[in-house]
Amino acid sequence: MKKSILKTIALFMLIMALCGSSMDTSRAFTARDLGRGSTGDDVIELQARLQYIGFYKGTIDGKFGYGTYWALRNFQDSYGLPTDGIAGANTKKKLTSVSEYNEKFVMDNLAKGNQFTHYGGTPLSAQVKQGGGKTEQAHLPSKYSEQDLKLMANAVYGEARGEPYEGQVAVAAVILNRVEHPDFPNTVGGVIFQPGAFTAVSDGQIWLEPNERAKEAVLDALNGWDPSENSIYYFNPITATSKWIWSRPQVKKIGLHIFCH
Amino acid sequence: MFRRIALYMKKIIFVLSFALVALAVFSYDKAKENDKLALALSGQYAKRMADASEKLDELNIAIEKSLLFNESDGSKKAREDIWRLTSDIRGSIDSLPLDASFSTAWSNYLSRVGSYAKEADRLSNSGDFEKVMSKASKNLQLMSTDWQVATAGLVDGRYSMNEWVERLDAKSSDVDWSQKGNSVKQYTESDFPLTASESDAMKKKDLQNITDPEVSKDEAVSIFKQVFPQVTNDVIGVEKSQPGAPYPFYHIRFASNQTVGYIDITEKGGHVLSYLADRPFGEPAVSFDDIKQRTEEFLEKAGYRDVVFEEARENSNAWHFVYVRVEPLHKAKVFSDVIHIKAAKDTGEIVGLNAAEYIRKEKLEDQPIVKINWKTFFHNGVKVEKEELAYVENEQLKQRLAYFLTVTKEDEKGIGTYQVLVDTETKEVLKTEKLF
Repeated sequence: MKKSILKTIALFMLIMALCGSSMDTSRAFTARDLGRGSTGDDVIELQARLQYIGFYKGTIDGKFGYGTYWALRNFQDSYGLPTDGIAGANTKKKLTSVSEYNEKFVMDNLAKGNQFTHYGGTPLSAQVKQGGGKTEQAHLPSKYSEQDLKLMANAVYGEARGEPYEGQVAVAAVILNRVEHPDFPNTVGGVIFQPGAFTAVSDGQIWLEPNERAKEAVLDALNGWDPSENSIYYFNPITATSKWIWSRPQVKKIGLHIFCH
Repeated sequence: MFRRIALYMKKIIFVLSFALVALAVFSYDKAKENDKLALALSGQYAKRMADASEKLDELNIAIEKSLLFNESDGSKKAREDIWRLTSDIRGSIDSLPLDASFSTAWSNYLSRVGSYAKEADRLSNSGDFEKVMSKASKNLQLMSTDWQVATAGLVDGRYSMNEWVERLDAKSSDVDWSQKGNSVKQYTESDFPLTASESDAMKKKDLQNITDPEVSKDEAVSIFKQVFPQVTNDVIGVEKSQPGAPYPFYHIRFASNQTVGYIDITEKGGHVLSYLADRPFGEPAVSFDDIKQRTEEFLEKAGYRDVVFEEARENSNAWHFVYVRVEPLHKAKVFSDVIHIKAAKDTGEIVGLNAAEYIRKEKLEDQPIVKINWKTFFHNGVKVEKEELAYVENEQLKQRLAYFLTVTKEDEKGIGTYQVLVDTETKEVLKTEKLF
């Protein structure tokens, strides 16, 4: 009797241990379909699984771009699935059955901003390089980089955090309008750090940690919104010291800022 | 008792004196450090100013060299130098603490000199290059003197960093910056007047091509209510654009429940320029396909019927969609006429619309389509995944019909994807962009 109880307990523990280890390596996807443009934790899982079986060679960043698209199509082609580049229910089921996903490893390294890969057959500990910087899970038009997003969010937060949302998008749009304008530097960094161009740079407020609202405002500007209507300058009439700025043709007032050409 | 108090007092005085001395030492060190930083910075700035002066002389020599040759091939090297030097000097100017009007005027002039030299091959009359650049060379000499006068003080160490920054302020300046900026602006206008294409592009940007009748403030509000009926319970303010706006528009701000936002509508024709609504977003609850379908229904209802889906990007609270106008003759996508849509992931509601580019409506001309063999056009290993037609702006700001290709190239890093636009008539590659 005692022996059979012990056997049952041992069997139960073995089953639990197996469940525990499989939970660590085979997280289920969410129910939604994933395609080009998708972003999120399920895209991270998709990339990690595709990399595990050698189809995806890019960075695991949670952004479903062309690298993920071609990797997925090749996977679908290899496993006799319709090659549409969309991770639907059948594709995800097949992928889950032929790959593993160490969620903790992937998420920890993403949180720490480490450079890492998730190939099968190689110890995961040997696939990590410390550092590299955290990535934002934001999908940007291809001409802009994550650094642009970060710098602009800092600038918008430093310059206009008390302004309405529209005003924050407008400040971000002014930065982009300057990048496109022949009279200004042609990079986001060049425009923001042009001496004397932005008060937040001069007084160091650019280095404050931006909030989500400022990032969202920058994302809208990067995606094409321009509430400033093509303005290349703005100023606060209460605090502005330059006489010259008053000579610019004014377009619109948003919050405390006047936007001008 | 008194002795005890005296002892305490002594201790307090000692601690206070010690703290005072420590503070004084700290402040002295800090001030010294700041002085050192200011000196290092002014040194850097002085170096850049001196470099720019030197490069201005080099630029002038390069222009003179380019004027020696009749054929554009002969002046190629000198023209490349002009382009490189103008870029370098612009880089220096952009990173220097100068008066805004002065530095923008300089940047503009230099970029025009550089672009003109770069594009000289395209000039129909080679005499034009000599005419324009001779004038530019003469003016650059005058400007170079102005530059040296304006930047003296920091270059020769006469001013500290603080004094220099104060000097930029018009009230306490010994240099009339705006006058100097204006003279450079005049040189730009006389040496490099806008080309017909540039002037057309500017007109388009300023919506001068819209000839529709004006709408009133009330009509603008009713257009808003018609396009976005769900948020128009409470219009909170309608303002007309400021007099300096190149195209007059109505700026309507609204608040509806927890949603706050704005819409800009042109006075001419009542076209929506842009709309953006801000509200707290809930958890994503609507699928991508449903959001896309709702977006397309919205576009249809709002009258944007000649656009097709081009791209989608998911962000934390919303999907950003790009729709592009299709020209009917060749079914070519017109990349200058796009509509941006922002749709919420929680409800699928349209929370943003930008049609400022779409309403400019490019004027398109038909052009011959020459067949191109992509196997010989591209290197081995490059695969054309998709071939479409599109209208795209070339460097001279003219709309050209182009093959719009999505190509891939595989290497050890994976599969690289590129967008390539090739002129259908001249086979010129108008644009190549790496897609991520």
